[in-house]
Amino acid sequence: MKDLFSKFTSLSEKDLVKIDAAYGWSLNAAELKQAQRYFRKIKREPARGELESIAQTWSEHCKHKTFSGPVRFSRRGKVKKYKNLFKETIVKATRELDKPWCLSVFTDNAGIVEFGADRKWGLAFKAETHNHPCAVEPYGGAETGVGGVIRDILGVGLGAKPVLNTDNFCFGRLDSKMKLPKNALGAERVFRGVVEGVRDYGNRIGIPTASGGIYFDDGYLLNPLVYVGCVGLIPADKIEKKVRPGDLILSIGGRTGRDGIHGATFSSANIDEETSASAVQIGHAVNEKKVLDVLMRARDLGLYDALTDCGAGGFSSAIGELASGTGAHVRLENAALKDTKIEPWEIWVSESQERMILAVPPKKLAALEDILNSENCEYCVLGEFTSNNRLLVTFNSEVVVDLTMDFLHEGVPSFEKPAVFSAPRVSGRAPRKNKKTCLQVLKELLAHPNICSRHSVITQYDHEVQGGTVIKPLQGKSGDGPGDATVIWPHSATGNIGDFSGFAVTHGFNPAAGRLDPYQMTLWSVDEAVRNLLCSGAEISRTALLDNFCAASPKDPQVMGGLVLAAEGCYDAAIGYGAPFISGKDSFYNQSKDAAGKDYPIPLSLLISAIAPVEDIRRAITMNFKEAGDPVYLAGLNQKGMGGSVYGELYDCGNNRMGPVNIKAAVKLYNALLKAIKKGHVRAAHDVSQGGLAVTLAEMAFSGGLGAKLDLGAAAAEKGLSDTELLFGESPSRLVLEVAKGAEAEFVKLVKGLPVGKIGSVDDGRSLSVKTGRRPLFSEDVNALKACWKRELL
Amino acid sequence: MIIEVWTKEKYAKNEEAGFAARMARAGLPIKAARLSRLYKVEAPWTRTEFNRLGAELLTDNITEHYSISKRPGIKGCYRVEIWLKNSATDVVGESVKEAVHDMLGRSPAGVRFGRAYYARCASGEKLRAVISKTLMNEVVNVCSVNKL
Repeated sequence: MKDLFSKFTSLSEKDLVKIDAAYGWSLNAAELKQAQRYFRKIKREPARGELESIAQTWSEHCKHKTFSGPVRFSRRGKVKKYKNLFKETIVKATRELDKPWCLSVFTDNAGIVEFGADRKWGLAFKAETHNHPCAVEPYGGAETGVGGVIRDILGVGLGAKPVLNTDNFCFGRLDSKMKLPKNALGAERVFRGVVEGVRDYGNRIGIPTASGGIYFDDGYLLNPLVYVGCVGLIPADKIEKKVRPGDLILSIGGRTGRDGIHGATFSSANIDEETSASAVQIGHAVNEKKVLDVLMRARDLGLYDALTDCGAGGFSSAIGELASGTGAHVRLENAALKDTKIEPWEIWVSESQERMILAVPPKKLAALEDILNSENCEYCVLGEFTSNNRLLVTFNSEVVVDLTMDFLHEGVPSFEKPAVFSAPRVSGRAPRKNKKTCLQVLKELLAHPNICSRHSVITQYDHEVQGGTVIKPLQGKSGDGPGDATVIWPHSATGNIGDFSGFAVTHGFNPAAGRLDPYQMTLWSVDEAVRNLLCSGAEISRTALLDNFCAASPKDPQVMGGLVLAAEGCYDAAIGYGAPFISGKDSFYNQSKDAAGKDYPIPLSLLISAIAPVEDIRRAITMNFKEAGDPVYLAGLNQKGMGGSVYGELYDCGNNRMGPVNIKAAVKLYNALLKAIKKGHVRAAHDVSQGGLAVTLAEMAFSGGLGAKLDLGAAAAEKGLSDTELLFGESPSRLVLEVAKGAEAEFVKLVKGLPVGKIGSVDDGRSLSVKTGRRPLFSEDVNALKACWKRELL
Repeated sequence: MIIEVWTKEKYAKNEEAGFAARMARAGLPIKAARLSRLYKVEAPWTRTEFNRLGAELLTDNITEHYSISKRPGIKGCYRVEIWLKNSATDVVGESVKEAVHDMLGRSPAGVRFGRAYYARCASGEKLRAVISKTLMNEVVNVCSVNKL
């Protein structure tokens, strides 16, 4: 292969593809030809480090070529063209909304929104995926995923202090009987490894892991999804950063080794038996904690001009990105190494963990070194930023890379991707009669892996460290009920215990809905996220969103079609809810060969993460019933349809219609409810989502250790709604509220004219009894319901 | 030298039950089990020094035992050892290496961390197959199974 490499500029397309496969770059033929043209133009053969740099910089992971490229979407005889799908949907919504409280969007490592009563702080939020590494080595993959997203927050602006980690996972069913290919790990193995990895990294570094979810579906058997997120606090005057020519390039934190080579390009490849162990690694949380401590001290003393994290692509990506407006000369012989048996190009692209790159004015180096030494944090000066717009990387006298910044960052060719979408047939007929009683169905739903307690996972995480977790992931009388949103009071970062400003974080996710209608899936997910925030008492008019798309190969037009519809849903939802997207990420090629050698893709998966301020954390509310005698209200219209529901997965009901989201009506309803919550009229609120209304009511009752007598006859409902749809349908924009009995009249005034109906009251019995009119639906002891729900996943 | 640390029997029920349950779910009933942590310290030191590391650095004396020679007393069992490959970063090993230096004023050439599982079960071959599905990952781990 070395022979071929030395003749790169004269290789045929076939040989280019061969060499790409041998070196693991994951570049396509057009990209390889573009690189070939560049080196022909400058009349020399490339060095290995140069093609490695190009592969990293142009990778899907770093460049997001699918989302930011042109798309031709054909549907029902009509064609819509996008020059840049991302900018014309998600970014467009943010630009049009133009919220003054958005301080930094889509430009840095994370989005930043204004925070705090004195507006002196920014709240940085980022989520990303680490799917491919977790499929190969779940523990190490999850650890380094958490470490990476924390570094994103450390590297936003001049550095934010992490105050919350989030985690959302998708795994194959633990009881799956599907035969796995030889190289695949079983679902339980992946599940355990990922949870342990997130636990060990988060707990050791001292950041609470307190918000997330777990979703099981056999579509994720070969390609699990691991979304990890982080929230941090940054002083508003530390958001701007700018590299200046002459600044030193300082690498701090971990040493560089041969681990993690080709992580960025690996994420654009299918996982197979040839997957190399070097693409995964184990994280070192204590090293990252040292970096964190150094940065917080050095930032406040103004000891550096800019920084970013070493993530995918290592030095190549981090230094290349920081130097994109200047230029840089990197001397790799100065790098602190784990071992000496490493080639210069490997130093350049190694993704060894826990490293950050700083741009340091030479006169401030000594002061920074004092802090680094006092925190026992390793560092090395790698070179300096220049003003010649060139990336020059040397190892002693050897030139490893000598490229223009323009070519490296703007040279990647773009291609129009075809997109189509054929929707499955939708049936809206009344659900078939179920032989099981409503109570039997409810108990099966409560025990379903996508609904049952996550206690055995959540309690492995330290969700209390830093002392600011006000509303915890597990809630209720015994601290074991399923919360809608987590509320954090970040006083450990602001140092101001007189300011009770906090923030709520939550998520919306429903790939089952995406199989039917990716557009409605997106609206459902955003609606669920906003509703969850509302249920904690957060200021939903200041909701900021993150989009994290995961999909199979974008070379499949049907996959691209789903993506287009979901992106259009993002635009409509953001505009409708007044909730801008502030950051996002995508992960493609989540598909593998099954045991029979057939492609096995994941379903289109869009995680919506949402964050909103809570004006006074002392007034935040939880989901469990609180007091006997309090009236219970159901808000929102109960629509027909069982599409996207857990019931629909368990029983063949012959109905897969999804109730569409009426955003305008939802916003009107939520605003009125928020007023009531802020006035203290609402004691508990819980959204209706997976499992439907019956599950929501059961969860509120058993989490509060209280019973209730409820009549759903007064609930706002579509005409002809069946009992199955009412109890187990998952139509959007609904929530159940416990209203303080002394404030009922006030509450009713606030929701007048809205689809809000009284359905009964909490009592101090131990039974949850539900009927509609005179027809009893089910009645059961709340402890018996809880016993069904509280099965252990691990 | 390998220093082996295991939870005292009266505190070990949960970890043993968890391990047995995982094995049972994977299709292998376990009659008795013990679990331990292994620290391979590469240094030409005396047994007294290794004993000091075991007693003062690696063991919580209230809940754990350590040994540089003995094994837990389960008769007729298999011993499974799982280590990270030398090419994989061993974070625990690195941290212990630093701690050893802080304690003795000298650094060992290296420290690697591993785990041992003692299991009384019907078949060593079956145990190996189940272990490869549940506790080890060939991408990063090496494993050995021996009858005691």
